[in-house]
Amino acid sequence: MSTVTTTNSQEDIAVRSRIDRSLRHPVMFFLTSGAAWLAVSLILGIISSAKMHAPGFLDSFGWLTYGRTQAAHLNTLIYGWGFQAAFGVIVWMMSRLSRQECRAAGTILMAGHLWNLGVTAGILGILSGYGTGMPWMEFPAFAWPVLLLSYFAIVVWSFVQFKVRPEGHVYISQWYLMAAMIWFPWLYITANLLLHVFPGSPVMANGINAWYKSGLIFMFFTPVALATAFYLTPKVIGRPIMSYSLSKLGFWSLAIIMPWAGMQKLAGAPIPYFIPYLGAAATVLFFVPAFTSAINILRTGFSDLEIVSNSPTLRFTMAGVVGLIVMAVAAAFLNLPKWTLPLTQFSMSGYGFEILALYAFFSFVMFGAIYFIVPRITGREWLSRRLIKVHFFFSIYGIVTVAFVAIFGGLMQGQGQEQFLQPSTELPEYTRPYAWATTIAWCFILFSNIFFFLHLTVMWLRLGRRSTHPTLLGSAHGHSPHGEEGDIDKIGTASAH
Amino acid sequence: MSFRTFIFSLSASFGVAWLAIIIVPYFKMRSIEPMSMGEDASGTNVVFIPKRAGRITDGAEVYAANGCYMCHTQLIRPTYAGNDLFRPDWAGLVYDDERGDTRRETNVYDFEGEKYANIGIARVGPDLSNLAVRVENIYAENESPEQWLYRFLYNPRERPARRLSTCPSFRFLFEKKKLTGNLSDEALPIATEDGMEIVPKPGARALVSYLLSLKKDQPVPVSLDFSPATEAPTAVRPAEVVPTP
Amino acid sequence: MSLNSPNSNPNPNPDLDESIDVAEAHGRVALETAASAREKRLADNGHEPISLWVIAACGIVLLVAGSVLGSSGTWFKYDGYFREGYVRGSAEGTVDSGPKPKTALAAFSAKGSKIYGAKCSGCHNPSGSGDGVNYPSLAGSEWVTGDTQKFAMIILNGLQGPTSTGKVYGAGVMPAQGTGMSAEDLASVMTFLRNGFGNSTGDVVSPEMAANAIDISGSRDNPGSSVNAEEIVAKHMVNLPGEYLDPTTMVNPATFAPIE
Repeated sequence: MSTVTTTNSQEDIAVRSRIDRSLRHPVMFFLTSGAAWLAVSLILGIISSAKMHAPGFLDSFGWLTYGRTQAAHLNTLIYGWGFQAAFGVIVWMMSRLSRQECRAAGTILMAGHLWNLGVTAGILGILSGYGTGMPWMEFPAFAWPVLLLSYFAIVVWSFVQFKVRPEGHVYISQWYLMAAMIWFPWLYITANLLLHVFPGSPVMANGINAWYKSGLIFMFFTPVALATAFYLTPKVIGRPIMSYSLSKLGFWSLAIIMPWAGMQKLAGAPIPYFIPYLGAAATVLFFVPAFTSAINILRTGFSDLEIVSNSPTLRFTMAGVVGLIVMAVAAAFLNLPKWTLPLTQFSMSGYGFEILALYAFFSFVMFGAIYFIVPRITGREWLSRRLIKVHFFFSIYGIVTVAFVAIFGGLMQGQGQEQFLQPSTELPEYTRPYAWATTIAWCFILFSNIFFFLHLTVMWLRLGRRSTHPTLLGSAHGHSPHGEEGDIDKIGTASAH
Repeated sequence: MSFRTFIFSLSASFGVAWLAIIIVPYFKMRSIEPMSMGEDASGTNVVFIPKRAGRITDGAEVYAANGCYMCHTQLIRPTYAGNDLFRPDWAGLVYDDERGDTRRETNVYDFEGEKYANIGIARVGPDLSNLAVRVENIYAENESPEQWLYRFLYNPRERPARRLSTCPSFRFLFEKKKLTGNLSDEALPIATEDGMEIVPKPGARALVSYLLSLKKDQPVPVSLDFSPATEAPTAVRPAEVVPTP
Repeated sequence: MSLNSPNSNPNPNPDLDESIDVAEAHGRVALETAASAREKRLADNGHEPISLWVIAACGIVLLVAGSVLGSSGTWFKYDGYFREGYVRGSAEGTVDSGPKPKTALAAFSAKGSKIYGAKCSGCHNPSGSGDGVNYPSLAGSEWVTGDTQKFAMIILNGLQGPTSTGKVYGAGVMPAQGTGMSAEDLASVMTFLRNGFGNSTGDVVSPEMAANAIDISGSRDNPGSSVNAEEIVAKHMVNLPGEYLDPTTMVNPATFAPIE
């Protein structure tokens, strides 16, 4: 057991509070706006999923046709919720880790509004029939420069903060966040320039799009979520991350392997033969960085089971990291070119895997971060333990169903596709049961997030508990690790510790 | 690890992959030359770029904007990557009157004229690489291929053989117009109020024109012909019931 | 964010608003920043050894990925879009299927139509009507729809002089079409013309009859020269020896073999 001390000085407390206060407006904006986009995405997801087994549902409106709602669902999930949650977390964590206040809060806030504008215009574009038809890049072509500009205006400050940080250890979270902040624009600019501005081979354009999709998952959302988990776990547990060398191994293996991934979705397409197989191998190898990082975090977290079961932050974070393990196994299992790739290449397991990555791993860790960050920047504690529990459990039910669809359903669907003696008119039947499962899963997840939105809105309105104690999931009776509970309004009643 | 080392290593690890699988192949494939197919009967040099007739550009835009690629693919994979070639009529016709077995894999010329190959994400419905071949030769028996497609897009579940289809109805691409004299050519044979007819809007026309250009079973040059050397098939398929449109 | 008021009159309902200077080590302030206060300090990472299970699991995945890489062909070979040496596999579970069977009438007519298009329509028109001056019409022509032997002789050897109607056409002589024509080809063209362009004899000339026609043509007095009306009337106003095919028999349209 290391002898590193984790107790605070007054200086620490003061610095943290200053940082949190400076960041209050932009971070709260990103988290609430992101949550609102999550709501929109979930509703669109349920509509789309219902249309897969009940195609007559809402089908008299052109703007609600399946192709458009599904595209809108994914794009709001990614660019609305995913990126804004990531921005909130990046801005806050980079400030905290560099021990620098945010001096550009106003700029970041404006950039965030600009991002919202871009996403809104993009979604309206998709729904009114101007989608580009490129998966995960369906926003009409005017949107990407707006989003890119807004992105730079948000993240450049974090690099500045890193540059002026005090001397000392650079945490693994900082490496992950900086890497993510560099990888995303590289991916985004490449994909958009080559697909919209400098058109070339139509088949390779499809390949670049597949690479971009994979890149977003493995080289933006995964590192941001890993950085968050690597930050929150030792923070709340009070012990250091189990193995520094393992975390470095995890980071560099991610950096070296994952840029090759993505084109396995074009196996059999007329592109250079080796490219899809390199992509398949890289996706299989995702297991290595994912599993090692997950074990690192889980062993740290589960070194104190009581804290994990009490802390909303850690419960969500650990669940997210377990989601990472499932995602790692799925990535390895579903992309084997001889056995499973021909089955999963054109089945629902692609969508299922993406949701595993975006919700089971990324979103759960983001929820953990939100439950940690919001009390600090608003000065209030979460109102209700029950709301948090409902959010947690129903999201788990939903996401386990989606994992089942991804891993099992996609394989079954692919098997059906490969039975070439069956007539093609029967193909939709192979999808139907898994479409039902997906609709039910999204309903669970929407249900869970309704409670989350309510809770978050209450906190946003600064109506949370004015207490010195965090809202824990364990019993309110029995001794708390934080001593006597006090009201922050009552001056001098409780002692600081 | 210093910041400089970090940036350098990150750029190297990402940059090598970026160059190798994105930049180099993309630019190499921009300038694909057509392949020669030798000389035809009149002595002119025949070149292999499948010519596609139809409103490919705007039709492809309607296809993309309405998300058809979410449920339909346009890729016939070689047999080492999947069983698409064995599916009747996906890769071409098993028996064309003139050419016999016309089935083949998708090759790089097949998407010429499109900006972005609609290879597709999933197969909830059938692959569409050779949709026009199927509609013209198999499905459209008593009507023109355009009519068949218009009727399908208006209500995919209209015909009994396709009751299970989950294709959305694209009737928002059609409009009701007042009848002026006789039914116009494109009017759908669907019951509607007196004095009105249902005709496709420009979007539907472009889409159907694009769909009817989807033929990827043209003869290919020798280097793209992967068929095993066999005799012409002499066994005969018994006169079984083929799924009726 | 710099401090202004020295807080001599503390706000009874404190809030994290801008006028409070958190740098003051203050009991009240510590309460407001309770969340930050109870946080642990982030420690440097530890140095526990890596578990063997993790190494083993990663090792297995590395082996699997290695086998994927092994079958990935030549790396960086940008002009090979397909696997080297790829030949299409065969479908297990299917019979090598041939063409859909057609009626004998349809099968022979289809082939005949193609031959007509290639050889005959240049002069006789794609609609079989000729042009009235140089080339005779085939629709309703007695020599087309009557006995089969004369029709076969005309096709194989060409015709000179007046046609069945007695009219002499401007082209003068129809060239022989029999070179390279197989029995099946001949049977197809005859069936097509006897049942198309308004003609409807309803019979199918069999390859057997056509083979006999070729024999007869070869054993004429001066084989190779075109026939004329005289010779037709004299020698060929008969049906070819051999049996017609039942027009409703199902046959393989490629080989014309009847199907049981």
